[in-house]
Amino acid sequence: MTGAMKRCATKAKPARILVLTLGIALTLSGAVPLLMRLLADTKPNVEINFDTAGPRQVEDTTQKAILRDYTSAWQAMVTALANNNAGPLRQNFVGFALDRFTQRIKDQQSNGVKTKIIDHGHKVDAIFYSQDGSAMQLRDTASIETQVLDGDTVIHSDQTQIQYWAVMTSAEDRWKLRVLESLPMQ
Amino acid sequence: MRKLILIALMAIACWYAVDSANAAELRVSSNAVAGQPISITASGEGDGTLYLVGPGQVIKRSVKLGNDIQIKGEELRTAGRWIAVVRSGGNSQSQAFWVKPGQPENINFLARPSRVPVSQQNAISGTVFVFDKFNNWVLGPVPVNFSLSVNGAGVNRTITSHNGVAWIQTSSASRGGAAQFVASVGTASVRRVIEQVASQPCNLRMHLSQRTQNRIIVETDPVRDCSGNAVPDGTIVTFTQSEKKGRSTVDARIKKGIARAELPASDNAMISVAAGYTLGNELHVGGGQ
Repeated sequence: MTGAMKRCATKAKPARILVLTLGIALTLSGAVPLLMRLLADTKPNVEINFDTAGPRQVEDTTQKAILRDYTSAWQAMVTALANNNAGPLRQNFVGFALDRFTQRIKDQQSNGVKTKIIDHGHKVDAIFYSQDGSAMQLRDTASIETQVLDGDTVIHSDQTQIQYWAVMTSAEDRWKLRVLESLPMQ
Repeated sequence: MRKLILIALMAIACWYAVDSANAAELRVSSNAVAGQPISITASGEGDGTLYLVGPGQVIKRSVKLGNDIQIKGEELRTAGRWIAVVRSGGNSQSQAFWVKPGQPENINFLARPSRVPVSQQNAISGTVFVFDKFNNWVLGPVPVNFSLSVNGAGVNRTITSHNGVAWIQTSSASRGGAAQFVASVGTASVRRVIEQVASQPCNLRMHLSQRTQNRIIVETDPVRDCSGNAVPDGTIVTFTQSEKKGRSTVDARIKKGIARAELPASDNAMISVAAGYTLGNELHVGGGQ
């Protein structure tokens, strides 16, 4: 009886391992894309120093709104460029910046190219806050990892610090990014 | 066995050398300016694909390696960080390069407010952002001219932009009217209209216009601000009649420059007039007056 049980257990072992392996593979196949999606949608880390702004002092509520909306604009840009979908831009961008990124997404679509940006954070100084409280200029030192993909093939990858100059203007219910210009680090 | 390993290593080394020789090396002009042509040199032989990924554009085209690749000025419109990639035979070579903005040719002008009382200190502000003809932000210093005038008279000032921004704050004129607020850079000029309206009434005066057995009609002189501008029709003027029996108040709107109110007749009353925080004269009504 004992011998028969041992034989049965020996036969069952590979089957268990197989089932376990399949289970793990199945879990991973579901979890990895979900995790990647979650990571992609994570808001970038943005720190803004408002003490450097002038000529008008930035109000507390405006500080919170700028931090929220600048972060949201970057998140929208990363999502839009990665998915070749200009939709997320419209809520966060306006004017020249909206025109520019919309055109880039059109170009990416027509050439089968995508840009994946892995955002490692922003250190921002508010430089100018207009007297009438309608426009704010920001100087952003961003740590950015950029991957250019043709189809699914990564054809370029780099990680660098880039200085961005931005103008945000107050819109109907939020601040929107009106200008975003990149410069080499000085 | 050793020989076999040696042969294998040599084969790998040769394959790597051939692959490296075929791989393109990229050289991009270092002083690229938006709207101006550049050349890109990709070393190597055969055909390849060039990708140019810029802030607002993506260009992809087939190229012959070993030749200079010309990029036209109108193709290179956006300033900022670009990435050039040449792909050939499964290998990619890439280089990041910077494109500077062109000459200032365009401005964004934010002017506030659209309507302002006359003679207000620092009530008008104007902010200009300077761009090139492709709407790239020009962060270098640029002289920006601001002028604010009503009927040809006003202020004119030149401010040099700092980090792409020039701004001005100025007082409204003493005369009412549509002020032309103009910002200009070179030949680019943007105009905004700021309506300068009369300020608070000044020297508010009323007189008895008519008196009957049952009513008293009082009316103001033409209501003007301290600079002599007519206060707009619709502005409310409050007349108050105080007597022993109590108080009567009438809020009257200025019509054709004058406010008028009808009050109950009284033998002994004091009538006062006010508009906003301006108090006018008082009238004593009673007896034979």
